[in-house]
Amino acid sequence: MVEFDRSAFIKKFQEEATEYLQRLNEGVITLEAEPENRELIDQMLRDAHTLKGSSRMVGLIEISDVAHRLEDIMVKVRDGDMRYVPEMSDVFFEALDTIVFLSDSAGTDVSEQTDIPALLERLAVVAGNGKSDDEAEDAPAEPEEEKSPAPTKQPVGAEKKPANKSVKKSSPKKAVHDEETLQTRVQHTVRVRTEQVDRLLNLVSEVVIAQIKDEQRSRDLRGLQALMNETNQLWSRVRTSAANLSTHDSGGFNEELEMLDELLADQRKRLASIVKVDAEDASRASTVVSDLQEQSMALRMLPVSTVFNTFPRSVRDLAHQFNKDVELEIEGGDTELDKKVLEEINDPLIHIMRNAVDHGIESPAEREAAGKPAKGTIRLAAKQEGDHIVIEIADDGAGIDPDKVRAAAVRKGYVSQTEAKSMSDREASYLIFEAGFSTSAIITEISGRGVGMDVVREFIVEKLKGSLDVTSVLGQGTTFRLTIPLTLAIIRALLVSTSGRTYAIPTASIEETLRIDPAEVIKVEGREVIRRQRRTIPIVHLRDVLGLESGETSGRKLPVVTVGFSGHRIGFLVDSFVGEQQIVIKTLGTHLVRVDNVAGVTILGAGEVVPILNVPDLMHHARQLAGMRTRQAAAAKKAESGPKRILICEDSFTTRELERSIFEAAGYDVETATDGALGLAKLREGLKVDAVVTDVQMPNMTGFELTRAIKSDSRLKVIPVIIVTSLEREEEKAEGIEAGADAYITKSVFNQDTLIDTVERLIR
Amino acid sequence: MSSESPIIRESIAQQSLDILRTRAESLALAEDVETTVETMGLLLFRLGEEWYAVPIAGVREIINDFVLTPIPRVPEFIRGVMNVRGEIVSVTDIALLMRIASDGHRFERELPAAIIVRTDLCVSALVVDEIGDIVEVARDAVEPPLATLDRSQVEFISGSVYLEGKLIGIVNLDRVLEPIGENS
Repeated sequence: MVEFDRSAFIKKFQEEATEYLQRLNEGVITLEAEPENRELIDQMLRDAHTLKGSSRMVGLIEISDVAHRLEDIMVKVRDGDMRYVPEMSDVFFEALDTIVFLSDSAGTDVSEQTDIPALLERLAVVAGNGKSDDEAEDAPAEPEEEKSPAPTKQPVGAEKKPANKSVKKSSPKKAVHDEETLQTRVQHTVRVRTEQVDRLLNLVSEVVIAQIKDEQRSRDLRGLQALMNETNQLWSRVRTSAANLSTHDSGGFNEELEMLDELLADQRKRLASIVKVDAEDASRASTVVSDLQEQSMALRMLPVSTVFNTFPRSVRDLAHQFNKDVELEIEGGDTELDKKVLEEINDPLIHIMRNAVDHGIESPAEREAAGKPAKGTIRLAAKQEGDHIVIEIADDGAGIDPDKVRAAAVRKGYVSQTEAKSMSDREASYLIFEAGFSTSAIITEISGRGVGMDVVREFIVEKLKGSLDVTSVLGQGTTFRLTIPLTLAIIRALLVSTSGRTYAIPTASIEETLRIDPAEVIKVEGREVIRRQRRTIPIVHLRDVLGLESGETSGRKLPVVTVGFSGHRIGFLVDSFVGEQQIVIKTLGTHLVRVDNVAGVTILGAGEVVPILNVPDLMHHARQLAGMRTRQAAAAKKAESGPKRILICEDSFTTRELERSIFEAAGYDVETATDGALGLAKLREGLKVDAVVTDVQMPNMTGFELTRAIKSDSRLKVIPVIIVTSLEREEEKAEGIEAGADAYITKSVFNQDTLIDTVERLIR
Repeated sequence: MSSESPIIRESIAQQSLDILRTRAESLALAEDVETTVETMGLLLFRLGEEWYAVPIAGVREIINDFVLTPIPRVPEFIRGVMNVRGEIVSVTDIALLMRIASDGHRFERELPAAIIVRTDLCVSALVVDEIGDIVEVARDAVEPPLATLDRSQVEFISGSVYLEGKLIGIVNLDRVLEPIGENS
């Protein structure tokens, strides 16, 4: 029973302590810069004092001891007995870290992992003079008192002694002040469990949905009223003509007509009043509901400083670790953000910070050599822009070299040479966000920028549905810009329909929506693409990516949603656009933890559940799908008449192996020769091939000579010859054609698709 | 229990479930002290020709007439999700999962009845052909699963019990409701 109670309080203590420890950590940093800050010193003294008291209450005596020493030091600093010097920070941090550790281990025996007496000793040394000696003697005595509740009071009294000795008068004042702050707190804040707030928000979003339904009903009601008015007009016409009839014709109907007239008038009046009241109610309710929504969202909003404030300390530690001199500037700490979002941005921010300190900021010597101040600066700034928060992390370090990134990306096979060339510097910098991009030798080459950057991307884009931008000027620094929705609960989304189902795509990921003419779709190498502002965008049916049966496509213009990320763009063909609106994001429930392509669902006004698509997943699968088609096409061709054989004549090892792997991947058998003469010899020995791919400049026999030899041999001249070369001049091309080559591909436009395509066209 | 099940209105079903659950809980508490016959509550349901049961402790509520939203590229036995008063709940086709022939409401979006079940980890709605009675059986009466069940089925059945001449398989909810996609 006793054990149980205590653990419950320990939990409370841990919660409370986190707050104080955070503030003390921040305090130490500030105190380094402003050792005379009276207010801060008082605050830190109070915090240490509170920590000491509450830890003792829950029986965490060791924490109490450490806090006690901190308090001693702060008392001396306050009373001017000593001055706070930056050298004290290290032992302060050590003490704070130890308290965190002790708090986390919640009273279990940790004497193996940490040496408390030694720390206490060091703290006593900092506290200086004789007093520390008798206190050091108290310390070992204290743990023994742990079990007996009575003596607990004694150390509390004892700790007050040193404080009283030096500041007799201010002490009672301090106590009063403490009480005041305590009271104010009780009056103004309530601690609520986050789950409780979440449940409340869930219910609020239900109310919002009900409200939308109500509005729909109001519209229906107005429709009914319009219908009623029409009926009435018709009726009055009928009545007028009825009045024109002679009385005996209408006979006994007169009374009924009279009644009907009255009834209709009454109905009209009643309906009108219902519509009026309903409209008033609806508009009042909608104001209240939107206020309710806003206010309840605000419940979960916290200032970003709750996350930012841990960085001065961690950047200080990192700088220490990497022998850098770094100053962190923080701006906009009071910008508010949904707690859920805040929890998620901590990790990516740490990654970026780490990168900035480790690889962005140069060593002091390098900086001075480059004419920069020895101390590097990292600026962490948050600001709100519309319904987004923008967080910028800017360093004045070495920057990212786009050429190195390009080269590394090509070698790694993320992009082809041509693609890399056509990329802007900005697009090239984005490559660092590719998954696994940096987990190789490339790391060193691009000076490590990108370590863990794929993680950053995952958090920001996939989890938070935000966006990520990096700008870098070589030699001047790098800026990461994270754009994050204010809340995870509500986003704007485009609703699209495909195969008779509706899906939501977060607007933040959409580049543009188009309606294209089917004639604009170009088929290239088994893929469908469109040209848009001098760029080629692959087009994929959304239903194919989602594995749905094909639906009817209506209309001549095809609706396309283009999404883009890190230099890649893909257009998704849908059946129709439904509209853009605010949606409330909900998870797929506890059973479906992670589903491909689907980030969550939303509930529309009519109660309809609509899946929200996960754009990075979609792009990934769309690319896989496109790759599969080309492979299938190649495989189908291969299957028709067994594998085709290609002879590659090429003196460069790299090019030869590159070409070999391209053809083998497409299902060909590959023979190689290191020059024209060897290639020709193989052919003359009776090697049967379906095509020859040759370089021009080779030792012993050039590609042109080889081509002439093949084309003048009656047995060999049927074999198609493809010249692949870096020579681009017209005369050379002419020489190749004159020699009898069937195709001529220059290396600058060389990519695997054109090569395979050309060979396939020639073989048949 | 009979094959023509009574019409259960949601609220009544909910109430009776609550009563039974309280009773089950109090019985569970009394367990240590008394040596009375231990019983367990079962909710019966029909899949095709056969009757199965879920332990009442794992049943949260019964839902009639719900609208299903399919989710692309999930395992075949996940029919999609539905909206239960603002909470999104997955819809599991338990017949398909256990490979049992059922009446089959394969292509309909409106489904007849579902039992929302829960484990410590997750909540899902099981699509069934018909919901039956709630019965109380002695724990001793629960036999190991039928030996003739094939291996893929046996893992979903934790035991069986004879009721009015019928053998009823008791569904192992922990196995049926494994969170999906956690590791991918």
